[in-house]
Amino acid sequence: MSRFIAKSAIRGANGVVAKADEMLKSALQKHGGEAPVAFVDKEGVGSTFFLPTIYAYTGHKIEKLSDMTPTLEYCKSLVPPVPGDNLWLPYLGETADAGVSTLFAEEMIKAIEFVEGKQPEKRNGFTFNGPISDVQTRSWGIQMVDGSMPGFAAVIGAAKSNEVAVKIVRELQSKGQLVFLSGSNNGRSIVDQLLEEGVELGYNTFTVPFGTDTESTVYALGYAARAAISFGGVTPGNFREILLYNKFRCFAFALCLGPMDDLKWATGAGAITYGFPAILDTVTPNILPTGITRYEHVVSMPFDDIPGKDDMERAQRLVQRCIEVRGIKIKIPSVPIPVAYGPAFEGEVVRRADLRVEFGGKNGVCFELLSMKDPDDVEDGKFTVVGPDVDSFEEGSKIPLAIVVDVAGRKLQKDFEPVLERQIHHFVNGAEGIQHVGQRDITWIRFSKGAAGKGFTLKHIGDILHTNLHNSFGAIVDKVQVTIYTEEAKVRELIEQAREVYRERDIRTAGMTDEAVDTYYSCTLCQSFAPNHVCVINPERTGLCGAYSWLDCRASYEINPTGPNQPVPKGKTIDPVKGVWEGVNSFVFDHSNRAVERFTIYSLMDSPMTTCGCCECVMIVVPEANGVMIVSRDDYSMTPCGMTFTTLMGTVGGGQQTPGMMGHSKRYTLSGKFIPVEGGLKRVVWLSKNIKEEFADEFKEVCERIGEPDLIDKIADGTNATTVDELLPFLEGKGHPALTMESMI
Amino acid sequence: MSAVEVPTEKWTGKIHEVKLGGNGRKSVVVGGENMLPFLHFEGKIPNKPIIAIEVQDRNPTDWSPHLISVWGDVLADPGAWAKKAVEYGADIIALRLRSAHPEEANTGASEAKKSVDTVLSAVDVPVIVLGPGVAEKDNEVLVAASEAAKGQRIALGNCEEKNHRTIAASCLADGHIAIAKTPIDLNLAKQLNILLCDVGLSTDSILMDPTTGALGYGIEYCYSVMERLRLAALGGDNMAAMPMFCSAGEETWRQKESKITEGLPPTWGDHLERSLTWEGITAIMLLNAGANIIALRHPDTVTLAKASIDKLMSA
Repeated sequence: MSRFIAKSAIRGANGVVAKADEMLKSALQKHGGEAPVAFVDKEGVGSTFFLPTIYAYTGHKIEKLSDMTPTLEYCKSLVPPVPGDNLWLPYLGETADAGVSTLFAEEMIKAIEFVEGKQPEKRNGFTFNGPISDVQTRSWGIQMVDGSMPGFAAVIGAAKSNEVAVKIVRELQSKGQLVFLSGSNNGRSIVDQLLEEGVELGYNTFTVPFGTDTESTVYALGYAARAAISFGGVTPGNFREILLYNKFRCFAFALCLGPMDDLKWATGAGAITYGFPAILDTVTPNILPTGITRYEHVVSMPFDDIPGKDDMERAQRLVQRCIEVRGIKIKIPSVPIPVAYGPAFEGEVVRRADLRVEFGGKNGVCFELLSMKDPDDVEDGKFTVVGPDVDSFEEGSKIPLAIVVDVAGRKLQKDFEPVLERQIHHFVNGAEGIQHVGQRDITWIRFSKGAAGKGFTLKHIGDILHTNLHNSFGAIVDKVQVTIYTEEAKVRELIEQAREVYRERDIRTAGMTDEAVDTYYSCTLCQSFAPNHVCVINPERTGLCGAYSWLDCRASYEINPTGPNQPVPKGKTIDPVKGVWEGVNSFVFDHSNRAVERFTIYSLMDSPMTTCGCCECVMIVVPEANGVMIVSRDDYSMTPCGMTFTTLMGTVGGGQQTPGMMGHSKRYTLSGKFIPVEGGLKRVVWLSKNIKEEFADEFKEVCERIGEPDLIDKIADGTNATTVDELLPFLEGKGHPALTMESMI
Repeated sequence: MSAVEVPTEKWTGKIHEVKLGGNGRKSVVVGGENMLPFLHFEGKIPNKPIIAIEVQDRNPTDWSPHLISVWGDVLADPGAWAKKAVEYGADIIALRLRSAHPEEANTGASEAKKSVDTVLSAVDVPVIVLGPGVAEKDNEVLVAASEAAKGQRIALGNCEEKNHRTIAASCLADGHIAIAKTPIDLNLAKQLNILLCDVGLSTDSILMDPTTGALGYGIEYCYSVMERLRLAALGGDNMAAMPMFCSAGEETWRQKESKITEGLPPTWGDHLERSLTWEGITAIMLLNAGANIIALRHPDTVTLAKASIDKLMSA
């Protein structure tokens, strides 16, 4: 908390409460206590919420002048004395009290002006709007709840120039913000500036001029108060709920243009109680720690110090900063590219005859790298192509390419980088006439003649990624910037750096163990057809469908907190060897419709995880061989257990717990936690050939790690055994370790 | 020989009670049961299931001749239609704003308001207003309907995931009920309920439409999802415990059994009888799956469904 700000706000509050006191006394003398008090806008449309801020905070209904007396007395008791020079700790509490009494005083001042016929304000032939009517509150309120309008910006004062004023308002509108205008500096108001530039003001243009004094800013808070009562179902007087509603659901902020004075600080303190932060374009102290507001409280951003080539760019950055401070998420309605975009184009192949240009593939060099950056280092929506673009490439040529995506977000975590990076494939593929294959440094992209002919260029990859990352991952991504390189030397230089990053990520993922975390994640996506099935996903075992790793689930939970991936705290350890935790058991019990009471993470024979029906493999015990066999979904042939994959699937699927049988992903076979209770990979006596081949290198490493370098050759597959009678001699011939291991049953 | 004791299930959960209407209008409460449908030995079913009759805001000239002849002239006037529906036993009117569909008349907010006003002033039973089923248009006309019916506690559908915030906001502002529609999926149904509660709707202001099919068109799958929702709710899952609304008439009257009259084997029998059977059997199955409100089209089916409810309630 800044002492400077606190002191100024308290001084401002004292001043405005005294002013309201004076005005009320004189109004009572002149008009009598029975004079009716009501807020109406310039069209004469009113409000049934009395003086809405006071009503929302206190439940007190002011309908006539004399109703103000108790509120004014309350203000006087609330407003703290101005701290002396030697007092160093007035602070948050007092400042908030000062802010609230300021809002009350301001609202009463406005109401008295109504009684005296001075509201809505008129100046130079222009009538200001005055307070917002209930009708308009309802219409905008629905848009605020449904997210089409994130919130409002209360712009107070006057901008550096008319052009800057217009730019700021246009930028705010482009972010879907409602704009309220009030206040002035030395007699000049942003409303004057906008009117001089011919900007239309009013409900229709979502730009509402309240007045030229600071006091009229209270109309914005009255609007927010009514929205909370109407849409938050909060009863007037329940101020805590009303303020919380605004903090979490109304993305409003104050943008103060020009020098601050005591009354502005005091009003700002009132706004902060609503959770509305203030951004100022002058040099002032900051209040950065999070507390009453979601993020920063007060951010000073002196206009002339904002980086940018001209004032227009500075205005744009100022608004961008406001959006960040308030945590507003932006939705982009459609991908702005010259070709069609949608899931229908995902599987599209661009053939040689139709090829305009390609990047990567055989003998090519192409990679994509997404990294998390500091918010200040990322400029949202900035796309740069370094090097020549599509129009200068020869037809059918192969060009080096680097796609470097920088993202920033308050809720983003470094671990989410690969999760988001993997989406590039899916996103880019959605464009008509564009083919994307692979990821990381094996990326291969083709542009068709058709797409290039319609004007699709490399810059549009930036558009695609920007739009989709915002729309699909807006919960964790605030800013996206894309840089594309096509100069061979540069791409070759960057690819080495990228490979270093991939290596680090791989090491990190490999080092991610079950022991290192205290929370696993659930996946109940398949409950639509397997109602009692719950996947519990730990770092060392991906979901049985192979599609969801622990990290994916964690990211999914951040993005969609009510979705199918929920955190499962491990809780108390019941059995560290079999992998039994209290938290896991109770989660599974609650989410399996009380069908599965107990669940081991590490055992096949004792309460194994259930299977929905999506598993990549089924594992089943082969008692005769004292081992297990693993059948892949891609393996259609008969197996030694006498069942094909389909029959096995039918047996194990549907959410039943079947000791000795379990569905799992292909990669699980390589995990350090592969059925550890039963002895791990050494128990595997038969494995579908396609898995052996797909992971040949990985298996080699695992076999060496567990001290059985020849193990994979000792494991049978469909080419040497399709019955138990064929299997046993094979195992004996090879000296398979399972034969001499402890009995499984 | 000692008597066999029949084990009964002890449920911990209960379906939320939702009140429609009131404030000068007749009111009706649905939900509140703490047992599987009609298994009276398990618990209590304080509010019996109710029947809605579907009324449209435009003359449905493409409807089956049997529906057109039984309703007659009132089809051209939603107010008269609604009145007649109440005479035929409707507990509640389900007004479908079909003309707002972009492929129909593509009408907007003002026409929607007019239709809602007409029906509200014609009858004193509670009202459900259904949009054309296209999210953007639903938003436009349901927001207008909501405002027109402020305080009358109507139910607004469809409220789907993509437009749930708008519908929820309208319900909050005007005191209505949202009909949360999801495509035959337990998790999606629960998730939408959670999202609606997140926006601020309370559990007494949400109905679920788990989506239904007609007899022979996936009814067993719908039945199973509804049953699963009910089991979850009775098992204590609050977010699955919303009463269910099923639009059965709409589904059955568009199937070939109700539509086709020519070139059929004689075993298919009389067209009217077949159409009624289709709607009736579908309705009774949905009742047994746990539906709390069923919207129907033919008065004879309404009679049948109501008689079935009475028998099931007294069993």
